[in-house]
Amino acid sequence: MKTTWKSRLSSSLFALPYTLCFAAFMLFPIGYGIYISLHDFELLSQEHPFVGLSHYIAIFTSGSYENSLFFRGLWVTIQFVLFSVPLLILVGLGIALLVNALPRKIRGLFRTFYFMPYAISASVMAVIWLMMFDTNAGLLNSMLQKLGIQSIPWLTDTPWVWISLIATTLWWTIGFNMIIFINALNEVPEDYYEAASIDGANVWSKFKHITLPSIRPVMLFVMITSTIASFNIYAQPFLLTRGGPGDTTRVLLMNVLDHAFIRKDVGSASAMAIIMAFIIMIISIVQYRLTYGRKEGN
Amino acid sequence: MSKFRQAMLIVLAVLLAALFLLPLIWMLSTSLKNDFEALAGQMNFIPKKPTLENYIQGLNGELMNVPIMRWITNSLSVGIIGTAIVLLIGSMAAYALARLSDMPFRKTLFSMFIASLMIPGVLTFLPMYMEFNGLGLINTYAALVLPYTAGAFGVFLLYQFFISFPKEIEEAARIDGANKWQIYTRILLPASVSIMVTLGIFTFMGIYNDFVWPLYATTSPEMRTITAGIALMSQGSYTQAYGKLMAMTTIATLPVLIIFIAGQRSFVKAITQSAVK
Repeated sequence: MKTTWKSRLSSSLFALPYTLCFAAFMLFPIGYGIYISLHDFELLSQEHPFVGLSHYIAIFTSGSYENSLFFRGLWVTIQFVLFSVPLLILVGLGIALLVNALPRKIRGLFRTFYFMPYAISASVMAVIWLMMFDTNAGLLNSMLQKLGIQSIPWLTDTPWVWISLIATTLWWTIGFNMIIFINALNEVPEDYYEAASIDGANVWSKFKHITLPSIRPVMLFVMITSTIASFNIYAQPFLLTRGGPGDTTRVLLMNVLDHAFIRKDVGSASAMAIIMAFIIMIISIVQYRLTYGRKEGN
Repeated sequence: MSKFRQAMLIVLAVLLAALFLLPLIWMLSTSLKNDFEALAGQMNFIPKKPTLENYIQGLNGELMNVPIMRWITNSLSVGIIGTAIVLLIGSMAAYALARLSDMPFRKTLFSMFIASLMIPGVLTFLPMYMEFNGLGLINTYAALVLPYTAGAFGVFLLYQFFISFPKEIEEAARIDGANKWQIYTRILLPASVSIMVTLGIFTFMGIYNDFVWPLYATTSPEMRTITAGIALMSQGSYTQAYGKLMAMTTIATLPVLIIFIAGQRSFVKAITQSAVK
C-alpha cells in the first residue's frame, strides 16, 4: 500500500474524533485530577494556591479529619467487599449451574428472569427496595407479621443494614456473573465429561476436576469485576441507608463525594479519589498475578 | 438424570425466579394503588381499588409536582444521542486502528485506549465535574452526553470485529477504485450491523441507567434525567408516597426493560465478549 503523507493524513482523520473525545474526557481529567489534588481547591473560590503533597499527607496523618474520613470509609468499603464478593461469585456460579441443569426448553426463560434486575438503574433498584424494606409498610415485614415474627429494622439497625445492602446487591447484579458463568460452562468440551463418566466419576468429582479448572480464567474475571464493582459501591448505601445507622455504612465513595460537594474541599477529595483509584488498580493487578502466577508455577 | 431430581431442580428454579421477580411485580402492583393503600402494610398483590391516578398525574406533570415526562425525554435523548456518537466515532477509530496500517502512532493509541479500560471511574469523576464547571457546561445536555464518548469499550469491541473481517473484500473494493471512506461506509459498516446493535444496546442502557454523574452534573429540575430525578425524589419530601414513587419507577423502567428483553441476545453477547480478553 502506498504511504504518502496524504494517505497517512486521511487514515488519521478516521481516528481523530474519538481520540479528541478520549483526550478531553479521559486523559485531561486524569491529569487535571492530579493537579487539583496538589492545590487548595475550594469549590466556589477562584484562588487555588499550590499546596504540594499536603492533602495526601493530611490523609495519612492519624488524628486529622481527612484521615478519619478516608480510613473509616475505606474500612466500611472493605467490609462490604469481603461480605459481598464471595457471595457474588458463589451464588452466581450456583445459579449458572442450576440454569444449565434445567431442561433445554426452559433455560432461556429462567435465565431472563434472573438477569432482569440487572437491566434496572441503580436509583430505581434502590427505591423499590426502600419500599420493600420499609419497617412499617414494607412487604418483607408484612410477610413476617403474617408469620407472627416481629418487624425487622432492615435499614436502620445492624446487622440488618448489612444484610439488606448485600441482598439488594445480589438481587441487582448477580445476573451479570451468572451470564458469564453460563457462557464459560458451555465452553467446557462435552467429551471431558463423557470420558470422566466412563471412568465412573460422580457429579462432585466431575465438578471439582473438570468444571472448576476449565472455568478458572473466567472465575478470575468475575472476581476482579466483582471486587471493583463492590469497591465502587455508592448507590445502595447512599439511597437505602444514607450511611446509617450512624456512620456504619458510610462507604468511601460517599465520603469522597460529600467531602467535595458538601464541604466543598475538592482538592483534598481529589487526593482521596486518586488513592482510592490506586487501591482498586492494585487489587486487580494482585488478583490477576495471583491466579496467573500459580498457573506458571505448575 | 432421574425424573425426581429434574422435578426438584425445576421447583428450585421457580422459587428462585419468584424471589427475583417479586420486587418488580410489587413495584407494578403498588403503582396501581392510592397512597393510603400503598402504606397500609398489606400483602395484596392485586390492589383492592386499582387506580391509574398515579400514571395520569405523571402524564400531566402533576405527579409530586415534577416534570417526569421531561425527565424521561431527557434520558431518552441523552441515551440516543450518546449512543449514536459512540457508534460513529468508535467505529471510525476502530476501522483506522484495525485496517489502516499507515496511521501514525497506531500502536501507541491502541495501547492507551485499552489501558484506559482499567481506569476506575472515581479517578476521573471529580476532575470531570470541575472541567465542565470551568467550561460553564454544568446543567447542559453537553455535560450529560460528552463524558460517555471517551469510553474505550466500543472501540475495543469493534476493533476485534474489524481485525477478523476478511481482507480480500476490502482489497477488491480498493482495486475497483474505492477510497477509505467508501470502504468504511459501503463495506465495513453494512457488515457490522449485528455487532453495532450489540454495542448500541449496551451503550444505551449504560447511559440511560447511570445516575451518579447526572445527579451531580445537573442542577435545575428540567435538566434532570429520570434516574437522577428518582434518586432525588426518594430522598425528598415524598419518601413514603410509594404509590406515586412506584408509578415513576415503572415509567422509568419500561424503556430499558423493553430494550433489554428484545435485545437480550445481543446484550449477553456484549457481556461475554468483554470477558473473553
